[in-house]
Amino acid sequence: MQKDSVTFAIVLSLIDFFLSMVMISFIGLVLKMLPLLNRFGKFDEEKMRRGH
Amino acid sequence: MFDAALSFLGALGAQTGLAQFWWGNVVMIAVGIAMILLAMIKHYEPLLLVGIGFACIITNVPGSDLVLPGGLFHYAYEGVQLLILPPLIFFGVGAMTDFGPMIANPKLVILGAAAHLGIFVALIGAKLIGFTIYEAGAIGIIGGADGPMAIFMCVKLAPHLLPQISVAAYSYMALMPVIQPPVMKLLTNKQERMIRMKQMRPVTRVERIGFPIVIGIIVNLLLPPVAPLITMLMLGNLFKEVLVTDRLAKTAANEVMNIVIVVLTLAIGSTMGADKFLTGTTVEVVLLGLLAFLVGTGSGVIGAKIMNLFLKEKINPLLGSAGIASVPIAARVAHMVALQDDPENFLIYHAMGPNLAGVFGTALSGGIMLALLQ
Repeated sequence: MQKDSVTFAIVLSLIDFFLSMVMISFIGLVLKMLPLLNRFGKFDEEKMRRGH
Repeated sequence: MFDAALSFLGALGAQTGLAQFWWGNVVMIAVGIAMILLAMIKHYEPLLLVGIGFACIITNVPGSDLVLPGGLFHYAYEGVQLLILPPLIFFGVGAMTDFGPMIANPKLVILGAAAHLGIFVALIGAKLIGFTIYEAGAIGIIGGADGPMAIFMCVKLAPHLLPQISVAAYSYMALMPVIQPPVMKLLTNKQERMIRMKQMRPVTRVERIGFPIVIGIIVNLLLPPVAPLITMLMLGNLFKEVLVTDRLAKTAANEVMNIVIVVLTLAIGSTMGADKFLTGTTVEVVLLGLLAFLVGTGSGVIGAKIMNLFLKEKINPLLGSAGIASVPIAARVAHMVALQDDPENFLIYHAMGPNLAGVFGTALSGGIMLALLQ
């Protein structure tokens, strides 16, 4: 397929839109799992604020 | 004696810009003045338009050394061309952004991609009217409504279109409160616009600190072409969230941001010479940018409505329009439109989730495009 053509533009758009959806869903999934970090404990925010 | 004086004055005149002055310079000086007035009177992106407008005026005074190699504006543009300034803007944005709404409601991040259909419609449209595939890609990214990302992609794909694309992107971002509401109202009914969102869960400090680190790793792993932008966004955010680098976070959000804005606006304005700007290409880019914004807003709303088909707890479809990025303008527009039908429906915090996801959506689209084109 010729790169500088309308057909290529359409195919590029379809692939890009689909992959963007997949990747952003993956980021959503990662965010969904982010609360798992809370199992490691929590920070004393007051102490952190005083620490500099 | 008289002849010598005349020849001296003639030589002096030839060294000034008067001999090269043409009507295009007058038009562009008027454009520059209009930008400054719009910023002053209408408050349209004053931090950007004043600098761009002034640099546009000076650039169109023939003979000005500022835009020539060795001139200050030239070096400002080098900062854009070498892709130093856009990541620094993201650094500042990260330091002033609360990603809590995005972390608290991950299902809404999908709207950050749904609202970017406009990018591809503009890309195909640009190709249809004769732009090269690289130019079309750069024009399409205007639909991401993300100024630094539009500049970043433009420099990578079609640097000669930088003045048109940056002006179109920032102008439409400023005009979003005018452009978006008609599309949002057209695609929703009153009942849908009145849907109230459930209060979000609180986000802990551990999650807030984990977020920039995890996203930094993922983006560098999966999308190296746009990693500089998102990495700097995450670094700025990490400075803000760790609570022990307040000074750095404040510097990033204020001093660094302000200096970079000054340099960036001078760089953009300095590319607006009449010979480059007063062309049919500018009109085409501006119209395609508008198309991208309209389609993006619509696709975001439709994306939210499609999500509602599968969700037990319905979301307000106006949130979809916020997925177009342009933080926080698009979120504010969604909030304002919802308030018109229900004065107690406060959507702003909820809309910030898809709005921030829109930044990632634009970066993803841009990164994939660069990977496919290069």
